[in-house]
Amino acid sequence: MRYKSQAVAYWYFAVAMVLFGLQIVFGLLSAAKYLGPDPLLYILPFDVTKVIHTNLLIVWVLTGFMGATYWLVPEESRTELHSVRLAYVQLVLFTVTGVTAVIGYLFRFGTGNKLLEQPLPHKLAIVATMLIFLYNIGMTIRKAGRFTVTEGVLVLGLAASAVLYLPALLHFDNYTVSIFYRWWTIHLWVEGVWMMIMGSFLAYLLIRLSGVDREVMEKWLYVIVGLVFIAGILGTAHHYYWVGVPSYWLPIGGFFSALEPLALVGMAAYAYYALRRSGLSHPNTLALHWTIGSAVFALFGAGLLGLAHTWPAVNRWTHGTLITAMHGHSAFYGAYAMIVLAMITYALPSLTRSRVSGESYVGYAAFWLQIAGMFGMTLSFATAGVAQVYLERIVGLGYLDTQLKIQVHFLMLILTASVFAIGVGLFIYDFFRRVPRSEVVGDDEPIELPRREAQPAG
Amino acid sequence: MTNRQARMFAIASTAIAALVFLTLTVHSHTRFPELTNAEAITPQVVAGQAVWHRYNCVNCHTLFGEGAYYAPDLTKIAQLRGERYLTAYMRDPSQFYDEQIHRRLMPRQDLSDQEIADLIAFLAWVANVDTQGWPPRPILVATGLTMPGAAEQPGVTEVPVRPVTAEDDPIAAGENLFRNVAPPCLACHSTQPGVNMAGPSLAGIGTRAAEIVASDGYTGQASDAEGYIRESIVSPSAHVVPGPMYSASGMSFMPDTYRSVLSDDEIEQLVAYLMSFR
Repeated sequence: MRYKSQAVAYWYFAVAMVLFGLQIVFGLLSAAKYLGPDPLLYILPFDVTKVIHTNLLIVWVLTGFMGATYWLVPEESRTELHSVRLAYVQLVLFTVTGVTAVIGYLFRFGTGNKLLEQPLPHKLAIVATMLIFLYNIGMTIRKAGRFTVTEGVLVLGLAASAVLYLPALLHFDNYTVSIFYRWWTIHLWVEGVWMMIMGSFLAYLLIRLSGVDREVMEKWLYVIVGLVFIAGILGTAHHYYWVGVPSYWLPIGGFFSALEPLALVGMAAYAYYALRRSGLSHPNTLALHWTIGSAVFALFGAGLLGLAHTWPAVNRWTHGTLITAMHGHSAFYGAYAMIVLAMITYALPSLTRSRVSGESYVGYAAFWLQIAGMFGMTLSFATAGVAQVYLERIVGLGYLDTQLKIQVHFLMLILTASVFAIGVGLFIYDFFRRVPRSEVVGDDEPIELPRREAQPAG
Repeated sequence: MTNRQARMFAIASTAIAALVFLTLTVHSHTRFPELTNAEAITPQVVAGQAVWHRYNCVNCHTLFGEGAYYAPDLTKIAQLRGERYLTAYMRDPSQFYDEQIHRRLMPRQDLSDQEIADLIAFLAWVANVDTQGWPPRPILVATGLTMPGAAEQPGVTEVPVRPVTAEDDPIAAGENLFRNVAPPCLACHSTQPGVNMAGPSLAGIGTRAAEIVASDGYTGQASDAEGYIRESIVSPSAHVVPGPMYSASGMSFMPDTYRSVLSDDEIEQLVAYLMSFR
């Protein structure tokens, strides 16, 4: 840790870890209900556990993004944060917002709008938090008078995330129009601006871990961003096929969402290039595992498995089945959960006293159990989904009859999810067994090639 | 490629894609009223949408295929199930499905009658939105089938129904109607013995119809088996099959719209088909 104010990142990560753990608890509960019967039917029904599961995901990933940004920006701009106190105020506000929203869901206090269930006061609080955050980051960069391409892409991605949350505040009497704009937030986040965030974290980590030339990495970061938006913006149409929109969205959605894997191929190639070029020179090889793992798993989950059901002629049959859950779990985990875990793993040795850097046995166990568990969960959803599409959509069995016939896949889901949960538990344990520190220490990145400064964007 | 060219690529591609997207968005708004029957969005439909949101329905069910995947898709439910059925179902789902059998049950939501009526109005509006032919075939809730793929099972149109002409046997024409009339009979009735779905099984109905007409409890006007089946199609409440799944307060849950949907000839074809089950 070169700058004292980077220590705020630890507390963001700590909150993210707690919420991640809770998310998995509610995920396991939801999975168990697929097997049924449900003894908690009138205490904690599926709709409640599911809404908490997905909302906690969004909250902890965003908390992780913010923490990682507070870690990255001082280093890239070579300065202390504008206001540490503001960063803590923001963390408290965001955590309170997230936790009260989740408690509210227990009592069905939500908007019932998928993934945007946060009640209006909470939505406004989220907007306020984002504004505080962007102000703090913006002032830091302004005071430093220096910013890198990596950091520029990151901040643009975060600012765009805040802007794209605004459609979520609108209400429409026409449910179709409401769906139309809901995807402006959800899709353009996860297949648009969050990819900018992921891309810039990836660039930062690859530059730091492999010591590869910054200028080359930042040039290709631009190319990746270009590919993300060529495909991602018009790719929104793959959510529009069957919701009451004009028919031209079908070929547009098919074509452009088929291009979406390009950016993910780009990121994986990017990581491979960095490795080939400079090798594994950094002692924190665990962080390298998470970094490369994120690029590869995102290509698999978001790229390949997204492509598998995005074409309209295929989606016509698979839409609204567990095929979507297959893609959703692996994509979100690979692209966003893993990149946050990579940033945490990279920063943790500097943020805490313990010098267990990359060689912690627990850390590796956490990595491999999570990878194996999530891969198994993806396969469980995939096999359940394929069987569901065949029996329910093609043969014409009733929904409930079909669900009975695919019970074995739910059993597999629970087993693999348990493996995943152990991996998550180990990661959280590995995080909290270290004691945070706040003093500045010397440059503890042992190998770093001389870097040329990039010109600021724009 | 220089750094500057790469940056131009990122900015230009984003700008072009965004411009095309916004243009199409504006155009879509000109089409929404027609595609979504916007004039049918009454205050009751809006109230029903609020009920849909208030009870967090989307975190178990899907609508337009969007939502959670823990409960059936409801996009076309208002075309597959009549209002009386849906009302009774919403009052107490456990009357219709058994958690021990299906391993899953919708918890009772304790909606007011007004909320139920609003919700059904909303679902009826949803069912008429132009979804570009999705779902490609009806998504049924429960068919009670145990062995997929056999030709005699309801809902199995992968064994395609032969196209019928006026020269065809009325029973073949009736079978075609059984599958294709709106709403299709097979959405609620199985022809397998003992498979009771939203409506009772029609296995052996040709024989049973005669017994029903002759029985003391019969409340309708028919005097023979054909007459009973015809009467059940055009006025379902004339004689109701006992059981809380099928009727409430003497009114059958079966839609009473077939009298206007079907021509006299078609009703006779359907009767001929059903009389074939003995």
